[in-house]
Amino acid sequence: MRALIIDDSRAMRSILRKIVTQLGFETDEAGDGQEALDKMRAGLVPDLCLVDWNMPVMDGYTFITSVRDNPEWRDVTLMMVTTESEQRQIVRALAAGAHEYVIKPFTPEAIVQKLELLGLKAKFVTPDGAIA
Amino acid sequence: MNLLAFSDASSFETETPDIDDVRGVTEDVWASLLGEEEILLPRAVPPGTPFDKDDVWSSAVTISGAWQGAVTLEVDADAARQLTSQMLGIPNPEDAEESDVADAVGELVNMIGGNVKGMMPGPSTLSLPAVAAGRAAFSNDMHEACRLDVSWRGAPVRVCVHVPVASDD
Amino acid sequence: MAADGAGMTTPTAFASVSALVRRETSMIYDEGKEYLVEARLAPLAAAKGLRLEEYVARLAFDAVERQKVIDALTINETSFFRDHTPYQAFTDAMLPPLLDARAHTRRLRIWSAACSSGQEAYSIAMLLDQHLPAGWDYEIVATDISTQMLERVRNGRFSQVEVNRGLPATSLVRYFTREGREWEISERLRSHITVRHLNLAAPYVGLGTFDVIWLRNVLIYFDAETKADIMRRMLPMLALDGFLLLGSSETTLDMPADLATAWRRETIGRVQAHRRAGAPTGGTLPTSTPLARTGA
Repeated sequence: MRALIIDDSRAMRSILRKIVTQLGFETDEAGDGQEALDKMRAGLVPDLCLVDWNMPVMDGYTFITSVRDNPEWRDVTLMMVTTESEQRQIVRALAAGAHEYVIKPFTPEAIVQKLELLGLKAKFVTPDGAIA
Repeated sequence: MNLLAFSDASSFETETPDIDDVRGVTEDVWASLLGEEEILLPRAVPPGTPFDKDDVWSSAVTISGAWQGAVTLEVDADAARQLTSQMLGIPNPEDAEESDVADAVGELVNMIGGNVKGMMPGPSTLSLPAVAAGRAAFSNDMHEACRLDVSWRGAPVRVCVHVPVASDD
Repeated sequence: MAADGAGMTTPTAFASVSALVRRETSMIYDEGKEYLVEARLAPLAAAKGLRLEEYVARLAFDAVERQKVIDALTINETSFFRDHTPYQAFTDAMLPPLLDARAHTRRLRIWSAACSSGQEAYSIAMLLDQHLPAGWDYEIVATDISTQMLERVRNGRFSQVEVNRGLPATSLVRYFTREGREWEISERLRSHITVRHLNLAAPYVGLGTFDVIWLRNVLIYFDAETKADIMRRMLPMLALDGFLLLGSSETTLDMPADLATAWRRETIGRVQAHRRAGAPTGGTLPTSTPLARTGA
């Protein structure tokens, strides 16, 4: 499975990459929504997008709307991971097509549990590389 | 402009976030990045005291909309490099480059600022973070509404919430 | 910063504990957390008279100790919808026959025993809010030995960290309101929760009977005699056609013969429900769907 991590902070992308890599995902990264859309249009369609809200060029809300407008990307699971925590904004993101929503700051297990809710059952990789 | 807005004018005073909430948010950010065992110790710093380190990183986000304000973070430079190495998975903090530190310190204030915004009346929007090596400077149309001084691994960390100076009544 | 002392010196011991915790709870204990794992496991090993590494080796075949390790490493880490499968079994397999059987009273009573900070009770309340037909009522009795925990349940306030965990975002915005740094559960759910102080080892007085009892991951902390006593006294607390849920490592198999016959185990999906001997059979799980696929 493939995850596209979309966040303007390299530090945050690094944190998220570490978590989902442990869950057996291969990862790609984008620094804003437009870069992510470009990668997807170029054929890099992930199973899961982890999407920040506040980003330069194109924010995460616009990105989610754009992904949902394209029927070919119907199967892509969208999870917001953002510090945006106004209740009405969470409602907006879900209405626009986000499947799940994680508020920053988060612990790794919050991400894991949300992915389990989405039926993206984690395949745990043990240190010696075996799938537990 | 309607009557309600006029009759409301007397109570036009910017709400400020609770210091305990700001502390809690900051602690949550630290705990999520470093684990529960990393403690932020309180520091008694008299009001008006400038941040007592010269080698410092600063970052800020502004909030605009139903609530107006800015949230700033000042971190001792050594501590900032340690945070950066933790966030970016750089084994040796000394190896963290300036652009790495700027990125990390920006994301820290983004997380704190976003949560401050979430606690205040909405809807509002959060700016992208601005980051500087050195002390933060503020225009004088903002005043400090809430200040948190803590110490992490012996180094000072400061979080401030600024609100616009109320126009004269 | 790690105390590399006499304890968990081999990386494999730490790796196996960390893999276990990750598999069972989805919590991640990275390298560098050895000292923490060691500090929490040392008392458990000592209680068994084992060195830490011997104790860790034993975990491979001792489900009860495994559960204790998980609990020790997840202190205050209760999450909403913890473990999923019991909640799925509840809505898919237990509710339908109970709805049929209670059609005249239109009321369900649930017991969340050892409720801790209330995530289990409120998770059940959310499911009942969504799945009970109009005109039905329910009561969830949440009991715990800690009055401090009961106060938390009563307040119904959870931190950002807590609502990030296990709770579908759709349920967060539907049932909670942001109050400062915390999220407060809606009065609509809270009004169905009754909080009671109770020591499970002491008599159960004035609680009434229940349609479903949630008694998960608590029996392991009692000795064999008390455990049997609790399971004996649970019998009259449960309606004849009710369901009792234990933790996944807990069983009545090792209990005295009278209990092994008084409680019948029924497998629902990946969950073992306990039912009173003489309860009607049924409760097969329909096609499996994720508990909460939210959004579009």
